[in-house]
Amino acid sequence: MSLALRLTESEEMLKKTALDFVRRDAPKEVIQDLQESDTGYTEELWRKVVEMGWPGLIVPEQYGGFGNSLTSAGVLFEALGTGPLPGPYFSSGILGSLIILEAGTEEQKQRILPAIAKGEQILTLALTEPGYSWEPGAVQTTAESKNGDFVLDGLKLFTMDAQAATHFIVVARTGKRADTARGISLFLVDRESDGLSVRRLPGFLAGRTFEVKLDSVKVPRADMLGDMDEGWQALEQGIAKSIPVLCAYKAGGCQAVVEMALEYSRLRIQFGTAIGRFQRVQDMIIEMVDHSDAARWTTYESLWKLDTQRSAAESVHLAKAVSSEAYWQVCSLAHRVFSGISYSKEHPVSFHTRASRSLYNYLGEPSYHRQQLARLLTL
Amino acid sequence: MDFSLEFEYTKEQERFAEEVRDWLDENVPKDLASPRDPLKVSYEQWQRRRELGRKLGKKGWLYPGYPREYGGGGMDADHRFILIQELAKRHLGLPPYHDAGGTLGAPAIVACGTEEQKKRLLPPIFTGEACTWQLFTEPEAGTDEANQQTNALRFVRDKDYFIINGGKIFVGGMYAPPDQFLLLTRSDVEAPRHQNLAMFIAPANLPGITIIPLDLFIPAMFTLISGETVDSADGVKYQVFFDDVRIHESCLIGGERDGWRVANATLEVEHGAGGGRWIRRNIVVEKLLDQCKSNPNVVKRLRENPQLLDTVVDIYIGAQIERLFAMRNSSGVGAPYAGPQLELYSKNYGVRLTADIAKVLGPYALTDDGEWGLDEGIFEVAERGGICIAPGGTPEALKIIMSRALAIGR
Repeated sequence: MSLALRLTESEEMLKKTALDFVRRDAPKEVIQDLQESDTGYTEELWRKVVEMGWPGLIVPEQYGGFGNSLTSAGVLFEALGTGPLPGPYFSSGILGSLIILEAGTEEQKQRILPAIAKGEQILTLALTEPGYSWEPGAVQTTAESKNGDFVLDGLKLFTMDAQAATHFIVVARTGKRADTARGISLFLVDRESDGLSVRRLPGFLAGRTFEVKLDSVKVPRADMLGDMDEGWQALEQGIAKSIPVLCAYKAGGCQAVVEMALEYSRLRIQFGTAIGRFQRVQDMIIEMVDHSDAARWTTYESLWKLDTQRSAAESVHLAKAVSSEAYWQVCSLAHRVFSGISYSKEHPVSFHTRASRSLYNYLGEPSYHRQQLARLLTL
Repeated sequence: MDFSLEFEYTKEQERFAEEVRDWLDENVPKDLASPRDPLKVSYEQWQRRRELGRKLGKKGWLYPGYPREYGGGGMDADHRFILIQELAKRHLGLPPYHDAGGTLGAPAIVACGTEEQKKRLLPPIFTGEACTWQLFTEPEAGTDEANQQTNALRFVRDKDYFIINGGKIFVGGMYAPPDQFLLLTRSDVEAPRHQNLAMFIAPANLPGITIIPLDLFIPAMFTLISGETVDSADGVKYQVFFDDVRIHESCLIGGERDGWRVANATLEVEHGAGGGRWIRRNIVVEKLLDQCKSNPNVVKRLRENPQLLDTVVDIYIGAQIERLFAMRNSSGVGAPYAGPQLELYSKNYGVRLTADIAKVLGPYALTDDGEWGLDEGIFEVAERGGICIAPGGTPEALKIIMSRALAIGR
């Protein structure tokens, strides 16, 4: 049987390096500061991450990256998720790279991907708007052709990592068609462009999500990614391939929280005994372990399907529905195991609670992906 | 990682698969029925399964993984997998009849028996000559298995014998009587808990033994009846009474106070240690999803009530997680808690599924009527099977075992 679910030697090494990095360079005080900061990273951390080649991990070698598999990216982000290490690593190195790879022309790939890999450009996706939805019909931002270039107008809401980004991949409507997925184009927009403004949304659990205003922002034609009106399919592909890597980050978060809860339940004494001895506490921990393992294995199966060019749509929806829910529930249950102490902003469980909430909806909440599954299963 | 279950045979393995296929073509009776409901296996059909078991046993194919010197097949995991695959294509498991006392007793005998006992006790099991029931559960020893009340005390007039008195319940399967029992007893009424037990392999036809069938509505555990093969499933359960039954001490496995250790060797297997079971298809879920696509009645229900779509998705997600846990365990990367976790997950999933199937299919799920039942009544069996969660440990017992493996429980 070909079934073999161990990590390869190089994946084990990558995992170890990443876990060491999180332990050494991003202990809990650092992570708390990073979560508070608008960018989620420091120059020093960014430099180290670039030195290790992580922004270019999955960028093909001909574009200055390492050409690793999505499974490797999963291994890396699973380790980063244990922090959880904030920062635009996923937005740029995974989602950004994959959308450029799917949508970009050869010239654009040669220009943008090496810059991502070297850490010179940081990309993030600006898709959702006030009429929040992950469907193409909700895209209202417009891009009008003027003198060969484009002028973008609109408002992007819940954009991740906007303060860290040097460039946005803005999804905009360039034409009106009966099929809402047509007439959508993708633009690479410089953060320093006139008319572009960014505001972080307040709320402890909002994470680093932003409002991005585009007020007559000029974008040169050369920065329209791929063909006019045909951006949605490429975007969808790029998102689908990225989702399991985000899921791996959540799975890593789940594992870290489970381990903390296990350790705490062995040490915390109430009524003269470790609380892990109480079956009600055991019930919660078993539920956490189940969620955590479900997130991990649905994630790795979808990564494997993508890496081996198998049909992966069902698996990707499954992984996202399961891991978003898992991360949220694991954190909620952890607060019940830890109780008062975990309500502190300094407590690592609260870092994960924050991440589990702010990433719950990102690239589609469970209800969205369950809807997609229902469509695939019943029609 | 590689999640594919495609098995590429080497030349030698292909030759073996062909040998298996040819042999099965020749030796599996053409009219051997495999009803999904084990309660519907006739006595005559059961005899044929026993006969097939003996033939498999002669080739070392009945218990293929055990050493040849004890009557097993001495086969490696790959060859066992091929054998099991070929049998599954014919809806047959190994053994192709209920033999819980053998499948669970054999590892205990290997772990705890003397060399003489292994040579004497294992070959009848492995060659299919003996069908063995596992006799552990008692009215007062359910989840609390150490609380055995069936006494096995040294016979005062002949110290080579034990006298057994007491009763077992919810034991056995298919048809009575079996050939022998794997019997857990209390050998010392004074000694402390766990040090007062003895395990025997005892003949089932001794004077003073009475076997009475129970009238139960469950067919078997959901995990068993949802797979490709159903013959290990045991819907029929019995009570067995011992009234001054005399057993020779050579029937003892391990020492006279060793019963708990021996029982644990079997329970670890039962609770999913060592990777747990093979990856099974979930035929019930497959058929249910087919119904959602092709049965106009069901399609209409789903259209009219979008809530049901969510139920279908719940069913699908649960089945995928169960499958992935099983794959993880089979490939040997599961943590120490992985065995009981899978068993627990499966049981809870089965219970949830009974409600979900009824929601999606309506009352059609509850009948196996030839005209109105769906997919030959598979859902009717599943509805009963999902309720059957006690065999092999209740979910609550499995949680205790899983907590222990997580190093938080006692």
